[in-house]
Amino acid sequence: MSNPILENIRRSLGRTEKASLGLRPVILKPRPPESVDSEIASFLDEIKKLSGVGQKISSAEIESALKNLVAQHNIRKAAVWNTPRLQQLQITNYLSSLGVELISPNADKHKIAECDLGITEADFILPETGTLVLYSSAEKPRAVSLTPRVHLAIVTPSALRADMHQVFAEAKDSRYLVFITGPSRTADIELTVTLGVHGPKNLYVWMMEN
Amino acid sequence: MPKAQLFITCLGDQFYTSTLQNMTHILERLGVELTFLPEQTCCGQPLFNNGFEDKTRAVALNFMRAFAKSDAPIIGPSGSCVGMVKHHYPSLFKEGTSEHALAVDIASRIFEFTEYLVSVLKVTDVGAVYPHKVTYHASCHYLREMGLKTEAKSLINAVKGLEFVPLNEEETCCGFGGAFTVTYPEVSRSMMENKVKNIIASGADTVITCEPGCLMNMAGGLHNAGSNIRAMHIIDLLASK
Amino acid sequence: MLRPCRVNDIIMTNTPTYIGFEEYSEHVPASIPSAVQQATNRFVGGRAARVAELPQWEQLRQAGSDIRQHTIENMDVYLTRLEQKVLSAGGNVHWAETAADARRIVLQIAKENNVKTAVKSKSMATEEIGLNHALEAAGIEAIETDLGEYIIQIAGTGPSHIIVPAVHLKKEEVAALFSKHLGIDAPSDPIELARIARETLREKFLTAEMGISGGNFLIAETGTLVIVTNEGNGRMCTTMPDLHVAVVGIDKVIPDWESLTVFLKLLARSATGQKLSTYTQFITGPRRADGEFGPKEFHLVLLDNGRSKILKDPVGRDVLKCIRCGACANVCPVYKNVGGFAYGSFISGPIGAILTPQMLGTQTARELPYASTLCGACADVCPVKIPIPTILRHLRRRVAQGDEFSEPSMPAPIRFTADLAALALAWNWIYRFGARILPIINPFFRRDGWLTGMPYPLSRWTKVRPLPAFSARFRQWWNVRSTKEKGTTR
Repeated sequence: MSNPILENIRRSLGRTEKASLGLRPVILKPRPPESVDSEIASFLDEIKKLSGVGQKISSAEIESALKNLVAQHNIRKAAVWNTPRLQQLQITNYLSSLGVELISPNADKHKIAECDLGITEADFILPETGTLVLYSSAEKPRAVSLTPRVHLAIVTPSALRADMHQVFAEAKDSRYLVFITGPSRTADIELTVTLGVHGPKNLYVWMMEN
Repeated sequence: MPKAQLFITCLGDQFYTSTLQNMTHILERLGVELTFLPEQTCCGQPLFNNGFEDKTRAVALNFMRAFAKSDAPIIGPSGSCVGMVKHHYPSLFKEGTSEHALAVDIASRIFEFTEYLVSVLKVTDVGAVYPHKVTYHASCHYLREMGLKTEAKSLINAVKGLEFVPLNEEETCCGFGGAFTVTYPEVSRSMMENKVKNIIASGADTVITCEPGCLMNMAGGLHNAGSNIRAMHIIDLLASK
Repeated sequence: MLRPCRVNDIIMTNTPTYIGFEEYSEHVPASIPSAVQQATNRFVGGRAARVAELPQWEQLRQAGSDIRQHTIENMDVYLTRLEQKVLSAGGNVHWAETAADARRIVLQIAKENNVKTAVKSKSMATEEIGLNHALEAAGIEAIETDLGEYIIQIAGTGPSHIIVPAVHLKKEEVAALFSKHLGIDAPSDPIELARIARETLREKFLTAEMGISGGNFLIAETGTLVIVTNEGNGRMCTTMPDLHVAVVGIDKVIPDWESLTVFLKLLARSATGQKLSTYTQFITGPRRADGEFGPKEFHLVLLDNGRSKILKDPVGRDVLKCIRCGACANVCPVYKNVGGFAYGSFISGPIGAILTPQMLGTQTARELPYASTLCGACADVCPVKIPIPTILRHLRRRVAQGDEFSEPSMPAPIRFTADLAALALAWNWIYRFGARILPIINPFFRRDGWLTGMPYPLSRWTKVRPLPAFSARFRQWWNVRSTKEKGTTR
């Protein structure tokens, strides 16, 4: 079946349907990785520059850190990704014991929207820009990192990738990917930077040892 | 003795006789033997830039025929005019024609004044004296089309007694743009007033430019603003003793 | 006197019959240039800082330019590949030749799905086709969710800047708009106003049946739509409703993910001086599992609306390389002094001056290619190296003398003036004769060494600043000198 737009394009370019594709130009080399410690430091520094809060943390410190977070931000409801790592860290247990109501991450959007806190991991992290990269699946629902006013991402050094080249090479067939670089922001009104317009206002990133 | 031909430009011709005289004196003092072909009129930029490419050809032919009489390099006091000849004349004529070959030849031996001094004569100090506070406006075509980023400042900084102060938004267009001044006079006015404001704020008592067009615009703007700041072509600065 | 709101009517029309840049630019309220300059200066400073950090910036620009060039020259192949991939990912692909086709397609999808409310993330393509009006006319509530777009939607005006469309409004004005529209007492505090927008729009995100977005890039390799935003509304629109419709120009296609690395490194840095915008989404088809959120149905509407015709012009088609960063507008001294409305279109600044005349024709938009001094600042910053001044001159040629794509549209008096000028400049005896007699005029207009108050057409110069007195004495001086030196008569 003919497509008038494609026909127009071919006519304009003087091409036929059989015309071969020219070679795509060469792309530049990706950023080379630095040492793990240096990458972690850059990553946490970028998070800070974006008005997020990034810190190194051990599994022993998780409980008290959650306690502080819940208290500081008056968290009443939370949704947590149901991934093996977050289960192993007992995140949901700690939150329950702090009196936080847990909403299933697969609950409907209205219920997730009531959450004050969303906890996820990150499938990749980019140190140059302080970016979290998240897949989407039934185990890793998109809304958890989007609707709550506080987003906490628990990450590990194994997620580090020096450049988005590597992320794309691994994730290009994934059907959905999101880059999160800092909390939601706008400068639309008189250029005054405002955080937390529609996405989270507070971004916390906890970097575990491994 | 190096030889060269003077390209006086239509604006230089109509309004800046003393600048052209200074250009003559400076070049002769530097040992250049000058000729001036009276058949020259204008490079044709006002027509070309406004889309009248066909009408530009006749003007370009007049220019080329005037300067073809000698094979000496051509020197002009304007980056935009020299740029017009250098970068656009060949494209006006069909490749393979004698006009095209002539255009390529002329384009290969035309220089802007500061370019000639610094790159060809390898001179930055011409013995000028000007004990004043001076700032500099980088004209658009001079800067971007001709790529002359350091020449003017090297020459300015070699002037004895001169104190250089930077201009805020030095590389921002002054609002001349040739026919733009009469196509959109009010927008040109806003841009000119912005430039004048920056010149006044610089604290200089003189602003230097390498373009007669920018000079006309800024000098007129400074006059209207009631300012005593002198707008000056770099040639006149370099001729100061 | 042209009231600013009439300019907005023109922008909102999408198919103006004539764009009068001169008239619009003369009636810009003073608040607009000052707001636009604040915004653009900030973005220019940010961009400069980011560029200084990247020693390979110029190589990135070249790579960006080369890839975009390659893509538009092979656009048919990449679009075919893109369609295949979107379909195999379970998405739908619609081809819209005209703006009317695109509107019809979106309305059809909305009707089939009983859509009552649509939430929109910022999309210039949807502004280009006037989608909101069409949806409203069909009884569908279409809500802009990007804060700046939301504000101008309530205000009923067009955008004054590509990236921050409501920057010309003071916080007090925004508060007044919110108060009136929402029936509340909104404070004049940007942080509070953003909070109000968040709460008000959240309900809409959660209940809307359809999310409408644009797209920054379309990756042919996998059929992936890339959306770059800052607020989170883009994610909301593509995550919450069960239906997602993306309207994207055919020129947004890129070959593959590796190419995308170049554009993501160029885009935010060029636009606002951020390294990356807050959110970048990579969407391939609808969701797979129910629990993950995201739409059940994904529709990609590929918009032509004149782009395939622009491809015919080997010089003009470089405009299709544009990645809509706004860097050109941020450095343009003309744009900074008039703001977006003067360009009479949803897209303003230097890129608007070369795109609108190619989309609407040089009869309608004949003033736009002249809305520039050809200073070249835009070409220096364009991340994909579009030679904007070259295209401006190319379009001026179309207006002034016509070319293979269009008849000339320059008014006769100006063509006549150009004829006279060409005559005087080509026949050097006419020029030299004129130069000798022009000084006769001086005494009539001279004041303080300058010529003022001259008659038309020189009045267009002297009303802004005076002209120096005519004083063409060089040629005589040279003759006298030569005669003296050589002792010969000429």
